[in-house]
Amino acid sequence: MSYLSDIWGSRELLQNLTNREVRGKYRRTALGQLWSLANPIAAILIYTFIFSFIFRLPAQVGDPSGLNNYALWLVCGLLPWLFFNRVLTIGVDSLVANAGLIQKVYFPRIVLPLSLANATMFTWLLEMGVLIVALSLLGSFVLPWLPLLAVFMVVFAMFSVGVAMLLSIANVYFRDLSYLLTIVLQFWFYLTPILYPVDMVATQSDRLGGLAGTSVTLLNLYQLNPVEGFIEIFRNLLYDNAMPELSRILIALAWAVGAFGAGVWLYSKKERQMAELL
Amino acid sequence: MSDWAVRVSDVSKKFRLYHERNQTLKSAILRGRTSKHEDFWALKNVSFDVIEGHTHGLIGSNGSGKSTLLKCLAKIYWPTSGSIDYRGRMASLLEVGSGFHLELSGRENIYLNGSILGMSKKEIDRKFDAIVDFSGVEQFLDQPVKNYSSGMYVRLGFSIAINVDPDILVVDEVLSVGDEGFQRKSFEKFLEFKKRGKTIIMVTHNMQVVEDICDTVTWVEKGEMMATGKAKSVVASYKKSLD
Repeated sequence: MSYLSDIWGSRELLQNLTNREVRGKYRRTALGQLWSLANPIAAILIYTFIFSFIFRLPAQVGDPSGLNNYALWLVCGLLPWLFFNRVLTIGVDSLVANAGLIQKVYFPRIVLPLSLANATMFTWLLEMGVLIVALSLLGSFVLPWLPLLAVFMVVFAMFSVGVAMLLSIANVYFRDLSYLLTIVLQFWFYLTPILYPVDMVATQSDRLGGLAGTSVTLLNLYQLNPVEGFIEIFRNLLYDNAMPELSRILIALAWAVGAFGAGVWLYSKKERQMAELL
Repeated sequence: MSDWAVRVSDVSKKFRLYHERNQTLKSAILRGRTSKHEDFWALKNVSFDVIEGHTHGLIGSNGSGKSTLLKCLAKIYWPTSGSIDYRGRMASLLEVGSGFHLELSGRENIYLNGSILGMSKKEIDRKFDAIVDFSGVEQFLDQPVKNYSSGMYVRLGFSIAINVDPDILVVDEVLSVGDEGFQRKSFEKFLEFKKRGKTIIMVTHNMQVVEDICDTVTWVEKGEMMATGKAKSVVASYKKSLD
């Protein structure tokens, strides 16, 4: 418990470190924070061209919103993924990159990954803001769902930073982990229903039936991926304007609490050795 | 005898000396183990008290373990066994300007660095002018720190640190920062600190400084405590051992 109060005691530090990340990042660039929108926009253009125009993916109609727009459907899943991706890739280095600081000053080390996640959250909020405006203009009645959306953004952020905390400590032991992570994230991206709907996986899964003589289907394995559930929730809220399934919500909450709890626990265990290990 | 401010009880610190350290997944998998090491005791059963308001010096030759001890006191290392207790707020000053963000201005860095060192925003607001005054960089306050000269950089770092105003200050040899004028200024600040009844623990190789300002001294050699007590007598026996 004293560890938690330690973290609470350093919330001002957390805020200042977050500011450092947010302000320091785009300092001395002509477009400033707008740069953070450039990446998703490029991705949207490319994916929409390839998957909607060339590959002719089946239309995704929002129920009950009635939206039918691949680009919007894509973005509702892509933005949470980009957030997750950034928190992990930046977070994994959060300890190693700040080795100089850790070896010279005492403060709760956990503020390092937390501040990075906060700064990334700021970028995500900006992107989601633009998305919500676009959705509203194009006929999605998203406003009533905003409170719930905010809740799930926090839940997803907890999950992401929890994973990032575990990775950042593992990275102290194995410095090549961050390279491996880049590859893993690439697989993870294509194994998550962001570019294509999960129905297409279900169709293939039905065709195959139970794998290797068991009753486990491809879809069962596919849905072990925790990010899949989160993406579906975000699409439900933003694109369909519908309430996500209760089971999905509970699983998402369990993953978030589990990952965050594990991260905090590992930090409280390893914090004291950190300066030596780096 | 007045009360102790810092009590070091039976502190030992073990390090691992790595013959082979596999810090990549590749080598860990290929060799089937992560490391091969032997234990090395950097500190063995060190105990001493620092009385409130005293200035305490840590002396010893290179590699004697005094820096390890200082890092334990600064809570950067954790003792393998034994414990260190504090009465009052402790702040450490092992390096100036660690945690500066080069792209941010001096003003922003004062807030950032202040909070890393444990000050609240209100405290920094209150001490802001004093920090700027002392550092002598007010002209460049809104410039990014990366454009500072190295002297300005350390002066700003030192000014923030010295204004943390803890009850117990743990310092490495940082008093040799900046030009002569600034050194004199910081030394005066240091003495003022002492005069206000604060407890200071410092590492230094300069025996003159030790004799001048330390009340008590602990002498460590090869991780073991050789002597602790009044500055004069400990320094004398330390000097004798060198001859």
